[in-house]
Amino acid sequence: MDCNFSPEEQQFRAQCRDWLYANVPSEKRPLNAIEAIDFDKAWQRRLFDAGWAGINWPAEYGGRGLSIVQQVIWLEEYAHAHAPWIGANFVGINHGGPTLILNASEEQKAWHLPRILKGEAIWCQGFSEPGAGSDLAGIKTHARVDGDELVINGSKIWTSFAHVADWQELVVRTEEGSQRHKGLSWVICDMHAPGITVRPIAKMSGQVEFAQVFYDDVRIPLANVVGGLGNGWKVAMSTLSFERGTGFIADQVKQSQEVSELIERARATGMIRDDRIAEQLAQMRAEVAALQAMTYRNISEVARTGQPGAEASVIRLFSAELGQRIERMAVLLLGEAMLDFRYGDDNAVADYLRGFAATIAGGSSQIQRDIIGERLLGLPKSR
Amino acid sequence: MDLTPNADQEAFVTATADWCRDNMPLENARERSPDLWTQMREMGWLGMTHTDLGLDHATEALVFAELGRHLAPIGALSTAVARRWTGTERRVGLVIPAADTVRILDGTGASLALGLRDGDAFTCALPAELASAASLDPSATLARLASTPALTPLGEPRAALHLQLLAAAYAVGCADAARDMASDYAKMRQQFDRPIGWFQAIKHLCADMAVRAAVARSQLYFAACALDAGGADAAFHIAAAKHLADQAAVENSRANVQIHGAIGITDEAYPHFCLKRAHLLTFVAPASRQILLDDAA
Repeated sequence: MDCNFSPEEQQFRAQCRDWLYANVPSEKRPLNAIEAIDFDKAWQRRLFDAGWAGINWPAEYGGRGLSIVQQVIWLEEYAHAHAPWIGANFVGINHGGPTLILNASEEQKAWHLPRILKGEAIWCQGFSEPGAGSDLAGIKTHARVDGDELVINGSKIWTSFAHVADWQELVVRTEEGSQRHKGLSWVICDMHAPGITVRPIAKMSGQVEFAQVFYDDVRIPLANVVGGLGNGWKVAMSTLSFERGTGFIADQVKQSQEVSELIERARATGMIRDDRIAEQLAQMRAEVAALQAMTYRNISEVARTGQPGAEASVIRLFSAELGQRIERMAVLLLGEAMLDFRYGDDNAVADYLRGFAATIAGGSSQIQRDIIGERLLGLPKSR
Repeated sequence: MDLTPNADQEAFVTATADWCRDNMPLENARERSPDLWTQMREMGWLGMTHTDLGLDHATEALVFAELGRHLAPIGALSTAVARRWTGTERRVGLVIPAADTVRILDGTGASLALGLRDGDAFTCALPAELASAASLDPSATLARLASTPALTPLGEPRAALHLQLLAAAYAVGCADAARDMASDYAKMRQQFDRPIGWFQAIKHLCADMAVRAAVARSQLYFAACALDAGGADAAFHIAAAKHLADQAAVENSRANVQIHGAIGITDEAYPHFCLKRAHLLTFVAPASRQILLDDAA
């Protein structure tokens, strides 16, 4: 075991830092998806042109073909430089793209991956439904095969960036009467196809980022199925552990920065003299360090074996709950100034309100605990 | 950067775990064989810290986590640290100083003890006739000294970090032991015609134990590597490791008692061994809040 980066990796880190220092935009990323979309696309294009998009994606599809450790270094420096959140590119870069790399045909990869990396194609995710949240296998949105097309009817919900997306990773029931995990397919859905209606949904912070999507006889080419008809569950699950492992590294560095800032603020205001606050801040300081160590362990496992460790699901749960404790501490330190929040503001109170999503999106903390209990500890399955 | 054990380290872990299971099971923690110390010395664990062997702190942390999982004697910590920084090959007791008195753990058969005061490591000579009795932890003996003995500073800041690191490793092992004892019981114990681990109320307690253990172990690995690397941030990372490992050991041990139900609060069952060891470890080289709050390098 060794916590030092190699001279080549340190050199790579310096390159990342230099470029970010010179290129991170000074203006703030707009809060709502509609206003942010041009900003997100332009920033992704700049990243791509400078060679910073898809660092560990295969070179033949526009990536750099470098190691996962270099990807991690980039994400760390990205956060250190206070570079903007990749926003609307999040799903394509962190989920849709990696799923395509693992499961898609050569044609599908050659068409979609470079467009994702260049910020030309915005993706959204179509997994959850009004009746299928934690119980994702309860998906009812269905697709009937008609010649060389799928005809889709139903609805998806909590779809981030749906109203600005070009493509959707859509999981639908393609086998009539099929149950649970069987008979599902993972489809690349054109969000501009006729029959799609998107209804944006405001969050309690005032932010408008996710939406409900309705499908009314939407026709999608059969060629857009990824991984074969009926294999949708397997395809969808293939990247979940990947997402749990590396999708949130920049967020983790941000959490660490936030804790340091909170300690500074508590010292400046004298609130650090409150023993409970000092104890909680010390606890968080230790926890953000451990989160980084846990991520390094996971990355080391991937670098060594090609697979994330069994503890990858622990990272997702711990990181989400730690983030909420940090956000809660931030508003505690605000004191009565918390009351000044106005709907649509983008500040610590908004972070606190938005942060509730972290233990719900991508599998609630309760589902994560089931997964840890059953897969890591071998307890009997209760579902 | 690689925070997974290499092949040599894996071999150390496997050999340690195998030996402990056969010769030093947790279940025998309060009636250890009289020649356990001789056996541990022969196996090399008490002297593995000596620089002659060329082993790094990462390897020590891995091995001591296995020893800690089986509730190895607490005095092995002070003995191993003294071996590294004073060169002594003898058994060394562990000092827990307090305002009004000095407690010596596992001082029986030792002429020297090692501990920390104000974050610095020291040794002190023990009286020939040390009146040792039982302690909270049934695996450790305790003697209280009426007058404070003369303390000899080791004059080496790394010695204190070393003790804190190995104590954190023991606590990580203790947290693992409690987690595994609880989940094994939850798979076996039947109520309402099914294993109690089927119920989310129990399953989620077990999952939280797994999270705490994984968090503490990860930071332990990073801290051990930081001490090996010799950077200025080692003190912070070791303090963070000790803080999280103590918390994991205490909270997991408490949850383990609860999951065992009524048998969990008896003397004959084993959950209290972990609980008492976990509480004892919180007094061994405790993490300083100030170091955690000060800027990490």
